[in-house]
Amino acid sequence: MSDLRNAGKYYWHYLKRYWRGFIVSMVLIAFSTWCIVVAPTYLGRAVEQLTTYLQQWSAPATRGQASLTPFNHTLIIYILLYVGDASTIFISSLILARVTAHSTGTMRVGLFRKLQRMKVQYFDTHSDGDVLARFTSDLDNIFNAMNQALLEILLAVAQFVGLLIVMFNQNATMAWVTMASTPLALLIAALVMRKAGVAVNQQQDDIGKLNGYINEQITGQKVLITNGLQQDSLKGFAGYNAKVRQSALTGQIWSGILNPLMQGMSLLNTAIVIFFGSWFALNGSLSTGAALALVVVFVNYAQQYYQPIMSLTSLYSMIQLAITGARRVDEVRNQPEETNPAQGHEMPAIQNGLKIDDVHFSYLPGKEILHGVSIDVHRGEMVALVGPTGSGKTTVMNLMNRFYDVDQGAITLDGTDIRQFDLQSLRANVGIVLQEPQLFTGTIADNIRYGDPQAGMDRVIDAAKQANIHDFITSLPAGYDTRVSDEQSVFSAGQKQLMSIARTILTNPRLLILDEATSNVDTVTEARIQAAMDNVIQGRTSFVIAHRLKTILNADKIVVLRNGQVIEQGNHQALLAEDGFYAELYRNQMVFD
Amino acid sequence: MKVLMPYFRRYHRDVWLALLSVIVLVFATLWQPRLLQVVMEAIIKNDQQTVFQQGLFLLGLAVLGIIGGIVNTIYSARVALGVATDLRADLYAHVQSLAFADVEKFSASNLVVRMTNDINQVQQIVMAGFQQITRIPLLFIGALILALVTMPQQWWVILAMMAIILLVCLVAVKRMTKYFGQTQQDIENVNTVARENLMGIRVVKSFVQEGNEIKKFSGASDELTNVTAKIGYWFAILMPAFFLTANLAVGVAVYIVGQNITTHPAYLAAITSFISYLMQILFAVINGGFLMTFASRAFISMGRIGEVLETEPSMTYVSGDDQPVQGDVTFEHVTFTYPGDDHPTLSDVSFTLKAGTMLGIVGATGSGKTTLAQLIARLYDPDSGQVKVGGVDVRQLPEKALRSTVAYVLQRSTLFSGTISGNLKQVQPDASVSHMQWAANVAQASEFIERLPQTYDAPVEERSQNFSGGQQQRLAITRGVIANPKILILDDATSALDARSEKLVQEALDRDLKETTTVVIAEKISSIINADQILVLDHGRVSGVGTHHELVANNAIYQAIYQTQKAREEGTVNE
Repeated sequence: MSDLRNAGKYYWHYLKRYWRGFIVSMVLIAFSTWCIVVAPTYLGRAVEQLTTYLQQWSAPATRGQASLTPFNHTLIIYILLYVGDASTIFISSLILARVTAHSTGTMRVGLFRKLQRMKVQYFDTHSDGDVLARFTSDLDNIFNAMNQALLEILLAVAQFVGLLIVMFNQNATMAWVTMASTPLALLIAALVMRKAGVAVNQQQDDIGKLNGYINEQITGQKVLITNGLQQDSLKGFAGYNAKVRQSALTGQIWSGILNPLMQGMSLLNTAIVIFFGSWFALNGSLSTGAALALVVVFVNYAQQYYQPIMSLTSLYSMIQLAITGARRVDEVRNQPEETNPAQGHEMPAIQNGLKIDDVHFSYLPGKEILHGVSIDVHRGEMVALVGPTGSGKTTVMNLMNRFYDVDQGAITLDGTDIRQFDLQSLRANVGIVLQEPQLFTGTIADNIRYGDPQAGMDRVIDAAKQANIHDFITSLPAGYDTRVSDEQSVFSAGQKQLMSIARTILTNPRLLILDEATSNVDTVTEARIQAAMDNVIQGRTSFVIAHRLKTILNADKIVVLRNGQVIEQGNHQALLAEDGFYAELYRNQMVFD
Repeated sequence: MKVLMPYFRRYHRDVWLALLSVIVLVFATLWQPRLLQVVMEAIIKNDQQTVFQQGLFLLGLAVLGIIGGIVNTIYSARVALGVATDLRADLYAHVQSLAFADVEKFSASNLVVRMTNDINQVQQIVMAGFQQITRIPLLFIGALILALVTMPQQWWVILAMMAIILLVCLVAVKRMTKYFGQTQQDIENVNTVARENLMGIRVVKSFVQEGNEIKKFSGASDELTNVTAKIGYWFAILMPAFFLTANLAVGVAVYIVGQNITTHPAYLAAITSFISYLMQILFAVINGGFLMTFASRAFISMGRIGEVLETEPSMTYVSGDDQPVQGDVTFEHVTFTYPGDDHPTLSDVSFTLKAGTMLGIVGATGSGKTTLAQLIARLYDPDSGQVKVGGVDVRQLPEKALRSTVAYVLQRSTLFSGTISGNLKQVQPDASVSHMQWAANVAQASEFIERLPQTYDAPVEERSQNFSGGQQQRLAITRGVIANPKILILDDATSALDARSEKLVQEALDRDLKETTTVVIAEKISSIINADQILVLDHGRVSGVGTHHELVANNAIYQAIYQTQKAREEGTVNE
């Protein structure tokens, strides 16, 4: 129920600005409903008038009076009513199509805007696939429900109400007869839908397990083949597949049976109406013409009567999906955003240095990762962070440009807490090179000037030269205009990393962080990237997080982190002389003659 | 369709029952207006007896219709599920019979989609097929015939109605197909921007490009919005146009009946039936259109499934003795090119490896190290030359014999979900706990396994994600050694281990698997420095073979790699 309320709120938020369109549509729909429910009475009247005409014409005494004019007039009204219906439905469909498309567009962009303001933590704790699904399937479901269900629901409700009014106006007894089977139909529908809900859930569970199994096995096909495990894999598959067969059969039957049942109920209802209608016509005090008209009109109503119920039941699952979708997108809308100080200063040039002062930090409450880390960096120094996986090296980088904020302690620049700087100014002045060189669709030049789209070609080329990638780029047929797309990569990991270094050079950051920038390449490529990195580091205050020690031997200071604490610091020579953890790491990684 | 025929034959009883019940259902639907006409005639004649009798018929007919609907759903579901599960099972079995190159050709994720989504599409279309697709043509033809029987003179009204509807359809479909194609492209663009931003959120934020990314995304999104709106507008025309046409046809028909009522007085009772049939024709056409678009997607899925089933395994095995062979390996002028590649990944590679010795393979990324190892495990066959294991060309070895001889441990060969012992017993079905302990000892894994509450029966989650990277590799090595293979290939399999554990693994291999030939692929020279011989690969060619000392002395590429990892003399302390 709270899902429904949240979904309602979500739709309301995005749809309220279209209230004028909705009101116009409602009026049009009310009019079209009036046309539709009134039209059968004109058909009935036409039949009645035709009967009278035939009777008058058949008797020689009254043949002279017989006239088709009233019949013709009735028919014209009948046709006009349907023209009215079609044109109003057309206009309201146009309006709703526009509202649907544009509100979905606003939702999509709204979601994207929100993502740009959210904390990095959200992206670290949710898989990309899950977040992306909110852009694709969830927004799709929201759209589908609006696109198909909105008009149908409005129409169904209006028609149902209109039908009841007109039926009771025409003949109360026959109206009751038409409605007689409704409780039974509703009961059946409720029962079947509940059964279907349970069965489909079970089916989805089992299908999920089967798909998970298939995915794991086929992704590990190399392991299956090299270990000769294909037969084992088949055996496991057969079990899951048999389960799906069972539960999906039940699921399909229950979810597939509602429509034929309702169609059957409609047939039954029409039969009842014909049966009672004709009995009523013969035993009442009606003329033949009026009796025929009564049957004609109510058969028409009986056929229409179940349509709103049928269209609502067929929309049920669509609406369910939309509610889930709205809940999932709304969840994102309520995520906390990054905080920017109200009157943040611009980050100034570094005078003395940067100080990490007794910093405590945890990603999850109660699971502290950094236990009071303090590091001093002087202007122009290169500081290296080393330590085993999980020691907290990358966490320090996360704190430095405020992807996360410290729990306790502070990071200060010349004595000012970095949280007092304007967030954008801080990030513009802290350059990072990440382990995964994420590039964006566009040209090489676009990627290098990513941080400053206004930069001219001279600056792009200059940055590429410093990153030792200019020669490679000019050797490509399209040079700097070569298209980059992250999926079908024509570039090696090393080349991509050099481009990302060029990208950072171009923004000329005051503080530089290199986060394991060479951990995905072989040692020969590493040496090439190292040269580029040396160019960037030159004259800048920098942090280098390293897995391989070879890259940081020249650092002014090496800080060894282990289990969230600084255990050793000093330069390479000093640390080797200490013969502690660093010395051991070094001996393990290097080859000695 | 051809793909499905054998499966339909397998469920022929269910198929016939589903079809039969559709016919019952259609009959009940179409015959009702007919009976209505009889009732109307009876009212005109004031014939109570007939009205009562026909009324009972009508009720009976409706009940028959309901039963037909229920039976139809049950048997349609049985056929759909039978066909889908059997097809999925055959598809899975077929994929398991394929060679690794064939799996690569399709890509694993693509095969998974075919076994899940595509099969699901087929299941839905089969279900819809027996519920709807068979019903619609029957309804259409039946209603058409009955409409003509009811008022033969009005054939041209029916014809005109169908012609107009068809014309509207054609125009709309033509426009909309264009827009649908555009939508696909626009969706792709929107998703690309979204995906890149999710993956690169740190880059976006650290370069402060949120504003530009929003602009980029809005642009892509607006294009999608505009096309969606256009499709919506066409749909807005479609439905009212259909119903208006049908209702105009009704009006015209009734008008004509009225003008000729004196010559055909019987038509008075037939008006309602005739209208019902016209509406049935209209519904049949509309539903037919919807199903057509639905079916076209299913046909694509069927094609994709058929494509896999028709792929012959590109590798076959001889049958014969399943016993493992000796552990020596020989490459004779081996050249190998990946399917679809221009350049060979391995060119003219030759070397000999004696049983029980250790070979290290080094080279830059992309030099062909993994490819070479995969040829030993016969994941691929060479273009030319021979790979021999135990003196026999691997192509002449029965599958079981080869698999029990060679154990291949990959950098990311995670265990499958289940338990640790379950994974180990897949390779060595009769492994006792003490044997598992032995293998875990070799891999330096026993220390953490024995700290787990359920030790060897501890659960392994999907992608082994409840273990750290180093633990995953040690578990994979445990699985690799448990069957005491003649040949053990470690393909960057110790990259997440610290140097001390790595050294201990190598010592244990030397001690406990003396007879085993080991092939070690590594980034770090320190991993292979003690190998009996080291093979240096450069762009798929053997640049040198020898011991560490020999290569340091005379191989330039080895020297270059070594230089990047060598400690400076002044840095050494206790060496």
